[in-house]
Amino acid sequence: MRQLGKARALAALVAIAVVVGACGSSATPSASAQSTGPFAIGYSNGGGVGNGFREEQVCTAKAEVAALGTSKISGITVIHRNTDAAGQLSDLRDLIAKNVKAIVFNPNDPDALNPALAEAHKAGIVTVSVDAYVTDPNTWNLYNNQVKYAYLGASWLFKQLGGKGTVWYTRGLAGHPADSDRDIGFKQALKENPGITVVPDVNGVFTGWDPKTATQITNDFISSGQYDKIQGIWASGMGAQIVDAIKAANKKFVPIADADIGAFVKQLLDPADYPGLVGAAVTNTASVGGAGVSMAYKLLTGQTVTPSTGAGRPNTVLLDPQILDNTTDQGKADLQKWISVPGMDPLWPLSLSIPGWTDYNPATVPSSCKGA
Amino acid sequence: MSTTATLASRGRSLVGRRDVLRRNGWTFGLLGLLAVLLLFAKIVEPSYGVLAIQGLGTSVLPLAIAAVAQAVVVISGGIDLSIGSMMALTSVVAASAMYKQPDEFGIVVVIGVLALGLALGAVNGALVVTTKVPDIVVTLAMSFVWAGFALIVRPAPGGGASSWLMDLAVGPILVDWIPKATVVMLIVVAVVWIPIARSRLGLSFYALGSNALAAFRSGVPVGRTKWASYVVGGLFAALGGLALTASTGIGTPVPGPYTLESVAAVVLGGVSLAGGRGGVLGPMIAVVVLQMVRTDMTFMSIDTNLAIVAQGVILIGVVMFGSLLEIRRASR
Repeated sequence: MRQLGKARALAALVAIAVVVGACGSSATPSASAQSTGPFAIGYSNGGGVGNGFREEQVCTAKAEVAALGTSKISGITVIHRNTDAAGQLSDLRDLIAKNVKAIVFNPNDPDALNPALAEAHKAGIVTVSVDAYVTDPNTWNLYNNQVKYAYLGASWLFKQLGGKGTVWYTRGLAGHPADSDRDIGFKQALKENPGITVVPDVNGVFTGWDPKTATQITNDFISSGQYDKIQGIWASGMGAQIVDAIKAANKKFVPIADADIGAFVKQLLDPADYPGLVGAAVTNTASVGGAGVSMAYKLLTGQTVTPSTGAGRPNTVLLDPQILDNTTDQGKADLQKWISVPGMDPLWPLSLSIPGWTDYNPATVPSSCKGA
Repeated sequence: MSTTATLASRGRSLVGRRDVLRRNGWTFGLLGLLAVLLLFAKIVEPSYGVLAIQGLGTSVLPLAIAAVAQAVVVISGGIDLSIGSMMALTSVVAASAMYKQPDEFGIVVVIGVLALGLALGAVNGALVVTTKVPDIVVTLAMSFVWAGFALIVRPAPGGGASSWLMDLAVGPILVDWIPKATVVMLIVVAVVWIPIARSRLGLSFYALGSNALAAFRSGVPVGRTKWASYVVGGLFAALGGLALTASTGIGTPVPGPYTLESVAAVVLGGVSLAGGRGGVLGPMIAVVVLQMVRTDMTFMSIDTNLAIVAQGVILIGVVMFGSLLEIRRASR
């Protein structure tokens, strides 16, 4: 009897699926989708909730939707949560089921999302990967040139040291595509500067892009006496935490190259609190979120999107980073210009727009997340 | 047939139906809730249909199997907080072993990974039984051990999966509205669980979970039964790991949220955390219910993180409702 009940329960489950499934219309590619609007957009961010870059990235996407207006984008559905690749697959499928016309997403993995992306393509949905690439052939990729990011910062640092000395190599998250690309750029610069030695070794140490971990690693590095033997630091976005740990230990600063995170740039421009701090900030714009929405709209309306040459993969647009340092008055003035938008979270990257890819007023980005 | 015989037959049938409803009331209730959530999705998003049902089947696969693993252990009076880590370890082993290998080799890998799951469960169970340390402590500690091994096998996400394994997780079977992943899951769970549930071992799981002392006095080998529940749990955790590899095509060493979500599904699925009561179908349906809560909230453009709040509220509500039923039953 117990098994009979279960069998009936199972039959009921199938019946529900049949009712809902049979009544539904499967999403099919729509040729008329091109050049008409407004379009519903889906946005999936599968990790880093609370991380400055990820939060700002979602805010820029919302700001871009607002800037494009309801005549072009009817709305954006954001799924922003910490999950694994399987969880993000589920999120992408929810967005497909919601019948959006484009999905912009920050991928958890280059390959794992391909099954859902293929389903999206089959349903006529445009897909754009931001911040990192995916290998799905029908998805467009738009991300910061991370190889160049690392190369610019490392080359500046090695030049500061006169091509000789020991550098502490602090990285991001093991296995993340951006971290792997940055490693390539760092090692390119290292190859051009044979007088530079890297500690703890050529593979560096991982902060996991977690502020607490970065502080802990730095404290351990200082207390073990290793800090006294280095002449420079290359950082992957956790420079502010590293600098504060050095300051707390009353140690003399060594030159440091990091990203354009607000807190780090403020340190570079504050000789009273951080005397002798020399550093450079390389842009790693989180505006890829907004740019991804812009790219999706262009693709939906049949506008031509030109891929970057030398990206190494098809359908890919690479954004070139810029570098500024505090070694000259002009550099300080330019850095100061970056700190122009009020209400920015100190852990957010400062570069808020990408020429040709974002339409919003940068000042609207912090407020675009209010009530989210 | 005489009138009297017909009436008697109808009477037996009515009693039988009532018995079925009473015994499976919780499962039917969950199905009702699921029906409401599915219909709500259909109302909010009229295009919700065949593709969405297929996607739903694939999406819930890893967690549904994890919920079965947890249910087996909980029914036997234990709890396994290492399920997520075992899934990560078996997934990375599978993805690493299948990477760039012929499809036929995938069969060998699947068998090996299932054996690994049995071994992991056997270690968990042996530690619980021999050390007498509470299950929650042992399995929490082992979750770090298995997660550490997963990182040793594969420090970063990657690897590959046999194409036939990935095919099992996506698309429909027979007709468009039956997700292949759901059919595969039901077959696998039925093949493993039904023979166990109907055997002396299955009865021992329930007896042990209901009252360990009474089970002991009735001749149930308590230690061996508890150990066996962890072994079966390990086998299902390995199936969950394979489901992860099948749905993503890779192995990820950092455990996903499967441990705590499997506990949530078990509670919502009508399995008593005190042990001895419930089944494996309820937790599987509970996983679909929890997924549909998130989907419906996405359709309504509600902040995704509120779905987690909603899950918590539903769980508290379910536990309170279950307690009320217990009180009512006890007062009769």
